[in-house]
Amino acid sequence: MSSLRAWIEDRLGLRPVAAFLAKKEVPCHTHTFLYYTGSSVLLFLGIQIVTGVLLALYYQPTLAEANASVVRIITEMPLGWLVRSVHSWSATFMIAAVFVHLLGIAFTKAYRKPREATWLSGVLLLACSLAFGFTGYLLPWDELSLAATKVGTNLPKALPLVGTFLTQVLRAGEDVTGDTLSRFFIMHVSVLPLALLAILGLHVFLVQRHGMSVPLDAERDKLELPAIPFWPNFFFREAAVWLVLLGVLLTIAVFAAPGLGPQADLMAPAPEGIKPEWYFLFMFQTLKLFPARILGLNGELVAVLIMMAGMAAVLLVPFIDNRPFERKGKVVTALAWAGLAYAVGMSIWSLL
Amino acid sequence: MKLPASLYSRRAFLNGLIGGWLAALGAAFISPFVKYIVPPTREPDQVSVPLADYQDMAPHTVKGFAWGNKPGFLKRSEAGDYVAFVGVCTHLDCNITFIAEQRRFFCACHEGWYDEDGLNVAGPPPAPLRRLAVSVEGDALIVKRPG
Repeated sequence: MSSLRAWIEDRLGLRPVAAFLAKKEVPCHTHTFLYYTGSSVLLFLGIQIVTGVLLALYYQPTLAEANASVVRIITEMPLGWLVRSVHSWSATFMIAAVFVHLLGIAFTKAYRKPREATWLSGVLLLACSLAFGFTGYLLPWDELSLAATKVGTNLPKALPLVGTFLTQVLRAGEDVTGDTLSRFFIMHVSVLPLALLAILGLHVFLVQRHGMSVPLDAERDKLELPAIPFWPNFFFREAAVWLVLLGVLLTIAVFAAPGLGPQADLMAPAPEGIKPEWYFLFMFQTLKLFPARILGLNGELVAVLIMMAGMAAVLLVPFIDNRPFERKGKVVTALAWAGLAYAVGMSIWSLL
Repeated sequence: MKLPASLYSRRAFLNGLIGGWLAALGAAFISPFVKYIVPPTREPDQVSVPLADYQDMAPHTVKGFAWGNKPGFLKRSEAGDYVAFVGVCTHLDCNITFIAEQRRFFCACHEGWYDEDGLNVAGPPPAPLRRLAVSVEGDALIVKRPG
Protein backbone atom coordinates (compact mmCIF):
# COMPACT_ATOMS: atom_id res chain seq x y z
CA MET A 1 0.00 0.00 0.00
CA SER A 2 2.67 2.47 1.00
CA SER A 3 4.74 1.56 -2.06
CA LEU A 4 1.70 2.28 -4.26
CA ARG A 5 1.30 5.63 -2.49
CA ALA A 6 4.98 6.37 -3.05
CA TRP A 7 4.63 5.44 -6.72
CA ILE A 8 1.70 7.83 -7.16
CA GLU A 9 3.48 10.59 -5.24
CA ASP A 10 6.50 10.11 -7.50
CA ARG A 11 4.38 10.62 -10.61
CA LEU A 12 2.04 13.39 -9.43
CA GLY A 13 4.01 15.21 -6.71
CA LEU A 14 0.91 16.25 -4.78
CA ARG A 15 2.54 16.42 -1.34
CA PRO A 16 2.48 20.25 -1.15
CA VAL A 17 -1.26 20.23 -1.87
CA ALA A 18 -1.90 17.60 0.80
CA ALA A 19 0.30 19.54 3.23
CA PHE A 20 -1.65 22.71 2.49
CA LEU A 21 -4.99 20.99 3.12
CA ALA A 22 -3.70 19.39 6.34
CA LYS A 23 -2.60 22.80 7.64
CA LYS A 24 -5.62 24.77 6.38
CA GLU A 25 -7.46 26.56 9.16
CA VAL A 26 -10.84 28.19 9.31
CA PRO A 27 -11.16 31.33 11.46
CA CYS A 28 -13.99 31.45 14.00
CA HIS A 29 -16.02 34.66 14.39
CA THR A 30 -19.58 35.96 14.14
CA HIS A 31 -19.68 35.50 10.35
CA THR A 32 -18.27 31.97 10.26
CA PHE A 33 -21.71 30.61 9.30
CA LEU A 34 -21.31 32.32 5.91
CA TYR A 35 -18.47 29.92 5.12
CA TYR A 36 -21.07 27.13 4.89
CA THR A 37 -22.97 28.85 2.08
CA GLY A 38 -20.29 28.11 -0.52
CA SER A 39 -20.10 24.43 0.31
CA SER A 40 -23.92 24.22 0.27
CA VAL A 41 -23.82 25.41 -3.34
CA LEU A 42 -21.31 22.64 -4.05
CA LEU A 43 -23.62 20.06 -2.49
CA PHE A 44 -26.54 21.08 -4.71
CA LEU A 45 -24.27 21.26 -7.75
CA GLY A 46 -23.17 17.68 -7.10
CA ILE A 47 -26.81 16.59 -6.81
CA GLN A 48 -27.61 18.41 -10.06
CA ILE A 49 -24.82 16.60 -11.90
CA VAL A 50 -25.86 13.15 -10.67
CA THR A 51 -29.63 13.61 -11.19
CA GLY A 52 -29.00 15.45 -14.48
CA VAL A 53 -27.05 12.50 -15.88
CA LEU A 54 -29.83 10.16 -14.73
CA LEU A 55 -32.51 12.26 -16.44
CA ALA A 56 -30.48 12.45 -19.64
CA LEU A 57 -30.49 8.64 -19.84
CA TYR A 58 -34.15 8.75 -20.94
CA TYR A 59 -34.82 12.34 -21.98
CA GLN A 60 -35.15 13.03 -25.72
CA PRO A 61 -34.65 16.63 -26.84
CA THR A 62 -36.92 16.69 -29.87
CA LEU A 63 -40.15 18.50 -30.67
CA ALA A 64 -42.12 15.25 -30.87
CA GLU A 65 -40.56 13.40 -27.96
CA ALA A 66 -39.46 15.93 -25.32
CA ASN A 67 -42.71 16.21 -23.37
CA ALA A 68 -43.54 12.54 -23.87
CA SER A 69 -40.12 11.43 -22.66
CA VAL A 70 -40.52 13.47 -19.45
CA VAL A 71 -43.94 11.86 -18.95
CA ARG A 72 -42.23 8.49 -19.43
CA ILE A 73 -39.54 9.37 -16.90
CA ILE A 74 -42.03 10.36 -14.21
CA THR A 75 -44.60 7.64 -14.84
CA GLU A 76 -42.71 4.56 -16.01
CA MET A 77 -39.13 4.73 -14.85
CA PRO A 78 -38.50 3.31 -11.37
CA LEU A 79 -38.23 6.36 -9.05
CA GLY A 80 -38.10 8.57 -12.14
CA TRP A 81 -40.54 11.01 -10.55
CA LEU A 82 -38.18 11.38 -7.59
CA VAL A 83 -35.10 11.94 -9.76
CA ARG A 84 -36.90 14.69 -11.67
CA SER A 85 -38.33 16.20 -8.50
CA VAL A 86 -34.91 16.27 -6.83
CA HIS A 87 -33.33 17.80 -9.95
CA SER A 88 -35.99 20.50 -10.05
CA TRP A 89 -35.92 21.28 -6.31
CA SER A 90 -32.15 21.08 -6.06
CA ALA A 91 -31.97 23.68 -8.85
CA THR A 92 -34.13 25.98 -6.74
CA PHE A 93 -32.04 25.28 -3.63
CA MET A 94 -28.81 25.85 -5.55
CA ILE A 95 -29.93 29.23 -6.90
CA ALA A 96 -31.12 30.19 -3.40
CA ALA A 97 -27.76 29.12 -1.92
CA VAL A 98 -25.92 31.09 -4.60
CA PHE A 99 -27.93 34.21 -3.72
CA VAL A 100 -27.32 33.78 0.03
CA HIS A 101 -23.61 33.23 -0.65
CA LEU A 102 -23.46 36.38 -2.78
CA LEU A 103 -25.43 38.53 -0.33
CA GLY A 104 -23.35 37.32 2.61
CA ILE A 105 -20.20 38.38 0.81
CA ALA A 106 -21.73 41.67 -0.29
CA PHE A 107 -22.75 42.60 3.26
CA THR A 108 -19.49 41.53 4.92
CA LYS A 109 -17.46 43.31 2.19
CA ALA A 110 -15.44 40.17 1.55
CA TYR A 111 -15.05 41.15 -2.12
CA ARG A 112 -12.45 43.83 -1.43
CA LYS A 113 -8.80 43.65 -2.37
CA PRO A 114 -7.29 41.08 -2.89
CA ARG A 115 -10.53 39.16 -3.57
CA GLU A 116 -11.87 41.13 -6.55
CA ALA A 117 -11.16 38.28 -8.99
CA THR A 118 -12.89 35.82 -6.66
CA TRP A 119 -15.99 38.06 -6.72
CA LEU A 120 -15.85 38.41 -10.52
CA SER A 121 -15.63 34.65 -11.01
CA GLY A 122 -18.45 34.24 -8.49
CA VAL A 123 -20.74 36.60 -10.41
CA LEU A 124 -19.92 34.63 -13.58
CA LEU A 125 -20.92 31.47 -11.71
CA LEU A 126 -24.20 33.16 -10.75
CA ALA A 127 -24.76 33.95 -14.44
CA CYS A 128 -24.00 30.30 -15.31
CA SER A 129 -26.47 29.10 -12.67
CA LEU A 130 -29.23 31.38 -13.98
CA ALA A 131 -28.47 30.23 -17.55
CA PHE A 132 -28.80 26.62 -16.34
CA GLY A 133 -32.17 27.48 -14.84
CA PHE A 134 -33.35 29.28 -17.96
CA THR A 135 -32.29 26.55 -20.41
CA GLY A 136 -33.50 23.74 -18.16
CA TYR A 137 -36.94 25.33 -17.80
CA LEU A 138 -37.66 24.79 -21.51
CA LEU A 139 -36.67 21.12 -21.65
CA PRO A 140 -39.98 19.59 -20.37
CA TRP A 141 -41.53 21.39 -23.37
CA ASP A 142 -44.87 22.24 -21.85
CA GLU A 143 -47.07 25.29 -22.41
CA LEU A 144 -45.57 27.34 -19.61
CA SER A 145 -41.97 26.65 -20.51
CA LEU A 146 -42.57 27.59 -24.15
CA ALA A 147 -44.20 30.92 -23.24
CA ALA A 148 -41.47 31.73 -20.69
CA THR A 149 -38.76 30.95 -23.24
CA LYS A 150 -40.42 33.10 -25.90
CA VAL A 151 -40.42 36.06 -23.53
CA GLY A 152 -36.91 35.48 -22.23
CA THR A 153 -35.30 35.05 -25.63
CA ASN A 154 -37.14 38.06 -27.00
CA LEU A 155 -35.61 40.42 -24.43
CA PRO A 156 -32.22 40.96 -26.13
CA LYS A 157 -34.09 42.04 -29.28
CA ALA A 158 -34.74 45.41 -27.65
CA LEU A 159 -31.01 46.19 -27.75
CA PRO A 160 -29.78 48.25 -30.70
CA LEU A 161 -27.38 46.76 -33.30
CA VAL A 162 -26.71 43.31 -31.82
CA GLY A 163 -30.17 42.62 -30.32
CA THR A 164 -31.79 40.82 -33.24
CA PHE A 165 -28.70 38.70 -33.82
CA LEU A 166 -28.53 37.69 -30.14
CA THR A 167 -32.18 36.63 -30.16
CA GLN A 168 -31.58 34.59 -33.33
CA VAL A 169 -28.59 32.89 -31.75
CA LEU A 170 -30.59 32.03 -28.63
CA ARG A 171 -33.61 30.78 -30.57
CA ALA A 172 -31.93 29.23 -33.58
CA GLY A 173 -33.74 31.59 -35.90
CA GLU A 174 -36.63 34.02 -35.72
CA ASP A 175 -38.90 31.89 -33.58
CA VAL A 176 -38.81 29.39 -30.77
CA THR A 177 -38.98 25.97 -32.49
CA GLY A 178 -37.65 22.46 -32.17
CA ASP A 179 -34.20 23.83 -33.03
CA THR A 180 -34.40 26.02 -29.93
CA LEU A 181 -35.05 22.92 -27.86
CA SER A 182 -31.96 21.14 -29.27
CA ARG A 183 -29.92 24.25 -28.66
CA PHE A 184 -31.09 24.68 -25.06
CA PHE A 185 -30.47 20.99 -24.38
CA ILE A 186 -26.88 21.05 -25.59
CA MET A 187 -26.25 24.30 -23.67
CA HIS A 188 -27.75 22.76 -20.54
CA VAL A 189 -25.87 19.46 -20.65
CA SER A 190 -22.59 20.34 -22.34
CA VAL A 191 -21.63 23.98 -22.86
CA LEU A 192 -22.76 25.37 -19.50
CA PRO A 193 -21.35 22.47 -17.44
CA LEU A 194 -17.93 22.89 -19.07
CA ALA A 195 -17.99 26.64 -18.50
CA LEU A 196 -19.24 26.28 -14.93
CA LEU A 197 -16.62 23.70 -13.96
CA ALA A 198 -13.81 25.79 -15.45
CA ILE A 199 -14.90 28.97 -13.65
CA LEU A 200 -15.60 27.03 -10.46
CA GLY A 201 -12.05 25.64 -10.55
CA LEU A 202 -10.69 29.18 -10.72
CA HIS A 203 -13.09 30.36 -8.00
CA VAL A 204 -12.13 27.64 -5.51
CA PHE A 205 -8.44 28.09 -6.31
CA LEU A 206 -8.72 31.83 -5.59
CA VAL A 207 -10.50 31.17 -2.30
CA GLN A 208 -7.59 28.94 -1.23
CA ARG A 209 -5.02 31.39 -2.57
CA HIS A 210 -6.32 34.37 -0.57
CA GLY A 211 -7.55 32.47 2.47
CA MET A 212 -10.89 33.00 4.17
CA SER A 213 -12.05 36.57 4.54
CA VAL A 214 -12.47 37.80 8.14
CA PRO A 215 -14.63 40.62 9.57
CA LEU A 216 -13.46 44.17 8.93
CA ASP A 217 -12.54 45.10 12.51
CA ALA A 218 -10.49 41.94 12.91
CA GLU A 219 -8.65 42.76 9.71
CA ARG A 220 -8.12 46.44 10.62
CA ASP A 221 -6.88 45.77 14.17
CA LYS A 222 -4.88 42.73 13.02
CA LEU A 223 -6.70 40.64 15.62
CA GLU A 224 -5.58 37.07 16.06
CA LEU A 225 -8.86 35.16 15.61
CA PRO A 226 -9.37 31.70 17.06
CA ALA A 227 -9.36 29.03 14.33
CA ILE A 228 -10.21 25.39 13.87
CA PRO A 229 -8.49 22.99 11.47
CA PHE A 230 -10.31 22.51 8.16
CA TRP A 231 -9.63 18.77 8.31
CA PRO A 232 -11.35 17.16 10.06
CA ASN A 233 -13.12 19.67 12.38
CA PHE A 234 -14.61 22.09 9.88
CA PHE A 235 -15.22 19.42 7.28
CA PHE A 236 -17.38 17.42 9.67
CA ARG A 237 -19.38 20.52 10.54
CA GLU A 238 -19.96 21.05 6.83
CA ALA A 239 -20.97 17.42 6.49
CA ALA A 240 -23.59 17.96 9.23
CA VAL A 241 -24.98 20.97 7.34
CA TRP A 242 -25.05 18.90 4.13
CA LEU A 243 -27.02 16.13 5.82
CA VAL A 244 -29.63 18.59 7.10
CA LEU A 245 -29.95 20.24 3.66
CA LEU A 246 -30.17 16.85 1.97
CA GLY A 247 -32.94 15.84 4.36
CA VAL A 248 -34.92 19.03 3.71
CA LEU A 249 -34.39 18.70 -0.06
CA LEU A 250 -35.55 15.08 -0.20
CA THR A 251 -38.56 15.74 2.01
CA ILE A 252 -39.73 18.59 -0.19
CA ALA A 253 -38.95 16.62 -3.36
CA VAL A 254 -41.04 13.69 -2.18
CA PHE A 255 -44.04 15.71 -1.03
CA ALA A 256 -44.04 18.45 -3.68
CA ALA A 257 -42.99 16.90 -6.97
CA PRO A 258 -43.25 19.42 -9.81
CA GLY A 259 -46.07 18.95 -12.28
CA LEU A 260 -45.91 18.83 -16.04
CA GLY A 261 -48.18 20.88 -18.28
CA PRO A 262 -49.63 19.77 -21.60
CA GLN A 263 -47.16 19.48 -24.46
CA ALA A 264 -46.18 22.86 -25.90
CA ASP A 265 -48.05 23.84 -29.05
CA LEU A 266 -46.32 26.46 -31.19
CA MET A 267 -49.71 27.64 -32.48
CA ALA A 268 -51.61 27.83 -29.20
CA PRO A 269 -52.15 31.12 -27.37
CA ALA A 270 -49.99 31.69 -24.32
CA PRO A 271 -51.62 30.14 -21.24
CA GLU A 272 -53.13 32.43 -18.61
CA GLY A 273 -51.05 33.28 -15.58
CA ILE A 274 -47.63 32.42 -16.94
CA LYS A 275 -44.82 32.81 -14.46
CA PRO A 276 -41.11 32.26 -14.84
CA GLU A 277 -39.02 30.52 -12.17
CA TRP A 278 -39.12 32.39 -8.86
CA TYR A 279 -35.65 33.88 -9.35
CA PHE A 280 -36.77 35.67 -12.51
CA LEU A 281 -40.05 36.93 -11.00
CA PHE A 282 -38.79 40.42 -10.15
CA MET A 283 -37.65 40.94 -13.75
CA PHE A 284 -40.97 39.56 -15.00
CA GLN A 285 -42.91 42.00 -12.83
CA THR A 286 -40.67 44.90 -13.92
CA LEU A 287 -41.38 44.10 -17.58
CA LYS A 288 -45.09 43.95 -16.90
CA LEU A 289 -45.07 47.41 -15.32
CA PHE A 290 -43.03 49.21 -17.92
CA PRO A 291 -45.22 51.15 -20.36
CA ALA A 292 -44.70 50.78 -24.10
CA ARG A 293 -42.95 54.14 -24.43
CA ILE A 294 -40.96 56.21 -21.95
CA LEU A 295 -39.81 59.72 -22.96
CA GLY A 296 -40.06 58.66 -26.59
CA LEU A 297 -37.95 55.55 -26.04
CA ASN A 298 -39.04 51.94 -26.34
CA GLY A 299 -40.14 50.95 -22.80
CA GLU A 300 -38.75 47.45 -23.20
CA LEU A 301 -35.35 48.85 -24.18
CA VAL A 302 -35.34 51.06 -21.07
CA ALA A 303 -36.25 48.07 -18.88
CA VAL A 304 -33.53 45.90 -20.44
CA LEU A 305 -30.94 48.67 -20.09
CA ILE A 306 -31.82 49.22 -16.42
CA MET A 307 -31.47 45.48 -15.74
CA MET A 308 -28.13 45.39 -17.56
CA ALA A 309 -26.91 48.37 -15.56
CA GLY A 310 -27.93 46.56 -12.38
CA MET A 311 -26.00 43.45 -13.40
CA ALA A 312 -22.94 45.51 -14.37
CA ALA A 313 -23.07 47.22 -10.97
CA VAL A 314 -23.14 43.85 -9.19
CA LEU A 315 -20.22 42.63 -11.30
CA LEU A 316 -18.13 45.75 -10.62
CA VAL A 317 -18.88 46.19 -6.90
CA PRO A 318 -15.26 45.49 -5.84
CA PHE A 319 -14.04 48.29 -8.07
CA ILE A 320 -16.72 50.75 -6.93
CA ASP A 321 -16.27 50.06 -3.22
CA ASN A 322 -12.48 49.79 -3.30
CA ARG A 323 -11.44 51.60 -0.10
CA PRO A 324 -12.09 49.82 3.17
CA PHE A 325 -13.36 51.68 6.25
CA GLU A 326 -14.87 54.55 4.26
CA ARG A 327 -18.33 55.88 3.51
CA LYS A 328 -18.54 54.19 0.11
CA GLY A 329 -18.90 50.85 1.84
CA LYS A 330 -22.01 52.07 3.66
CA VAL A 331 -23.49 53.38 0.39
CA VAL A 332 -22.94 49.99 -1.23
CA THR A 333 -24.52 48.24 1.75
CA ALA A 334 -27.54 50.55 1.53
CA LEU A 335 -27.81 49.92 -2.23
CA ALA A 336 -27.54 46.16 -1.68
CA TRP A 337 -30.41 46.32 0.86
CA ALA A 338 -32.41 48.48 -1.55
CA GLY A 339 -31.80 46.03 -4.42
CA LEU A 340 -32.77 43.09 -2.21
CA ALA A 341 -35.93 44.87 -1.03
CA TYR A 342 -36.82 45.68 -4.65
CA ALA A 343 -36.32 42.08 -5.81
CA VAL A 344 -38.30 40.62 -2.89
CA GLY A 345 -41.04 43.26 -3.16
CA MET A 346 -41.47 42.83 -6.91
CA SER A 347 -41.48 39.02 -6.60
CA ILE A 348 -44.22 39.14 -3.94
CA TRP A 349 -46.21 41.64 -6.00
CA SER A 350 -46.05 39.37 -9.06
CA LEU A 351 -47.54 36.53 -7.01
CA LEU A 352 -50.52 38.56 -5.80
CA MET B 1 13.90 63.67 -43.83
CA LYS B 2 15.80 61.12 -41.85
CA LEU B 3 15.16 60.67 -38.15
CA PRO B 4 18.09 59.64 -35.98
CA ALA B 5 15.91 57.02 -34.31
CA SER B 6 12.58 55.61 -35.37
CA LEU B 7 9.59 56.53 -33.25
CA TYR B 8 8.15 53.13 -33.99
CA SER B 9 10.54 50.29 -33.46
CA ARG B 10 10.92 47.51 -35.98
CA ARG B 11 9.85 45.03 -33.33
CA ALA B 12 6.65 46.92 -32.52
CA PHE B 13 5.87 47.20 -36.23
CA LEU B 14 6.38 43.49 -36.87
CA ASN B 15 4.43 42.53 -33.74
CA GLY B 16 1.54 44.69 -34.88
CA LEU B 17 1.67 43.32 -38.40
CA ILE B 18 1.85 39.66 -37.38
CA GLY B 19 -0.69 40.21 -34.61
CA GLY B 20 -3.03 41.79 -37.12
CA TRP B 21 -2.57 38.87 -39.48
CA LEU B 22 -3.27 36.39 -36.71
CA ALA B 23 -6.37 38.32 -35.67
CA ALA B 24 -7.61 38.32 -39.27
CA LEU B 25 -6.87 34.60 -39.55
CA GLY B 26 -8.73 33.97 -36.30
CA ALA B 27 -11.70 36.00 -37.51
CA ALA B 28 -11.69 34.00 -40.76
CA PHE B 29 -11.86 30.79 -38.74
CA ILE B 30 -14.58 32.06 -36.41
CA SER B 31 -16.87 33.62 -39.02
CA PRO B 32 -18.21 30.28 -40.37
CA PHE B 33 -19.24 29.31 -36.81
CA VAL B 34 -21.05 32.61 -36.35
CA LYS B 35 -22.83 32.06 -39.66
CA TYR B 36 -23.66 28.46 -38.85
CA ILE B 37 -25.37 29.07 -35.53
CA VAL B 38 -28.25 31.09 -37.03
CA PRO B 39 -30.36 29.00 -39.40
CA PRO B 40 -32.24 30.70 -42.27
CA THR B 41 -35.62 32.23 -41.45
CA ARG B 42 -38.65 30.10 -42.06
CA GLU B 43 -41.43 32.66 -42.29
CA PRO B 44 -43.49 31.86 -45.39
CA ASP B 45 -43.93 34.35 -48.25
CA GLN B 46 -47.54 33.32 -48.58
CA VAL B 47 -50.02 30.83 -47.24
CA SER B 48 -53.08 29.45 -48.96
CA VAL B 49 -56.16 28.33 -47.01
CA PRO B 50 -59.42 26.92 -48.41
CA LEU B 51 -62.00 29.68 -48.79
CA ALA B 52 -64.78 27.25 -47.81
CA ASP B 53 -63.50 27.15 -44.21
CA TYR B 54 -63.81 30.92 -43.83
CA GLN B 55 -66.82 31.73 -46.04
CA ASP B 56 -69.44 31.41 -43.33
CA MET B 57 -67.79 33.78 -40.85
CA ALA B 58 -70.05 36.51 -39.54
CA PRO B 59 -68.70 40.10 -39.53
CA HIS B 60 -66.44 40.90 -36.53
CA THR B 61 -65.55 37.28 -35.97
CA VAL B 62 -62.07 35.85 -36.04
CA LYS B 63 -60.73 32.47 -37.06
CA GLY B 64 -57.21 31.12 -36.80
CA PHE B 65 -54.92 29.82 -39.51
CA ALA B 66 -51.29 28.68 -39.61
CA TRP B 67 -48.84 31.35 -40.68
CA GLY B 68 -45.85 29.06 -41.06
CA ASN B 69 -45.14 27.89 -37.52
CA LYS B 70 -46.87 30.89 -35.96
CA PRO B 71 -50.55 31.40 -35.34
CA GLY B 72 -52.39 33.77 -37.66
CA PHE B 73 -55.87 35.28 -37.34
CA LEU B 74 -58.33 36.05 -40.14
CA LYS B 75 -60.99 38.62 -39.31
CA ARG B 76 -64.14 39.27 -41.31
CA SER B 77 -64.90 42.98 -41.52
CA GLU B 78 -68.30 44.69 -41.62
CA ALA B 79 -68.11 44.87 -45.44
CA GLY B 80 -67.27 41.17 -45.70
CA ASP B 81 -63.56 41.56 -46.51
CA TYR B 82 -60.90 39.58 -44.75
CA VAL B 83 -58.12 41.07 -42.66
CA ALA B 84 -55.21 38.94 -41.48
CA PHE B 85 -52.89 39.38 -38.50
CA VAL B 86 -49.87 37.49 -37.26
CA GLY B 87 -51.08 36.21 -33.89
CA VAL B 88 -47.93 37.12 -32.01
CA CYS B 89 -47.75 39.87 -29.41
CA THR B 90 -45.51 42.76 -30.41
CA HIS B 91 -44.29 43.13 -26.84
CA LEU B 92 -42.37 39.91 -26.16
CA ASP B 93 -43.53 37.46 -28.82
CA CYS B 94 -46.15 35.45 -26.92
CA ASN B 95 -49.00 33.93 -28.91
CA ILE B 96 -52.19 35.95 -28.46
CA THR B 97 -55.82 34.88 -28.35
CA PHE B 98 -59.05 36.52 -29.55
CA ILE B 99 -61.67 37.13 -26.89
CA ALA B 100 -64.90 37.12 -28.88
CA GLU B 101 -67.17 38.70 -26.21
CA GLN B 102 -64.92 41.74 -25.95
CA ARG B 103 -63.89 41.76 -29.61
CA ARG B 104 -60.30 42.21 -28.53
CA PHE B 105 -57.06 40.29 -28.81
CA PHE B 106 -55.39 39.41 -25.51
CA CYS B 107 -51.84 38.39 -24.62
CA ALA B 108 -51.73 36.46 -21.35
CA CYS B 109 -47.99 36.86 -20.78
CA HIS B 110 -47.96 40.49 -19.66
CA GLU B 111 -51.63 41.38 -20.12
CA GLY B 112 -51.49 43.19 -23.44
CA TRP B 113 -54.67 44.12 -25.34
CA TYR B 114 -55.35 44.88 -29.00
CA ASP B 115 -58.67 45.90 -30.52
CA GLU B 116 -60.23 43.90 -33.34
CA ASP B 117 -58.25 45.92 -35.90
CA GLY B 118 -55.01 44.89 -34.23
CA LEU B 119 -54.33 48.25 -32.61
CA ASN B 120 -52.47 48.05 -29.29
CA VAL B 121 -54.95 49.57 -26.83
CA ALA B 122 -53.74 48.55 -23.36
CA GLY B 123 -50.83 47.01 -21.50
CA PRO B 124 -47.21 46.91 -22.58
CA PRO B 125 -47.44 46.20 -26.36
CA PRO B 126 -45.51 48.94 -28.18
CA ALA B 127 -47.00 48.45 -31.67
CA PRO B 128 -50.11 47.14 -33.46
CA LEU B 129 -50.28 43.51 -34.55
CA ARG B 130 -48.51 42.73 -37.81
CA ARG B 131 -50.96 42.79 -40.70
CA LEU B 132 -50.89 40.47 -43.69
CA ALA B 133 -52.44 41.01 -47.11
CA VAL B 134 -55.41 38.78 -48.00
CA SER B 135 -56.86 38.10 -51.41
CA VAL B 136 -59.47 35.65 -52.73
CA GLU B 137 -58.24 33.58 -55.63
CA GLY B 138 -60.70 30.96 -56.88
CA ASP B 139 -61.61 28.74 -53.97
CA ALA B 140 -58.64 29.77 -51.83
CA LEU B 141 -57.71 32.62 -49.56
CA ILE B 142 -54.14 33.74 -50.20
CA VAL B 143 -52.40 35.39 -47.23
CA LYS B 144 -49.22 37.21 -48.11
CA ARG B 145 -46.66 39.40 -46.47
CA PRO B 146 -47.67 42.95 -47.33
CA GLY B 147 -45.75 44.88 -49.95
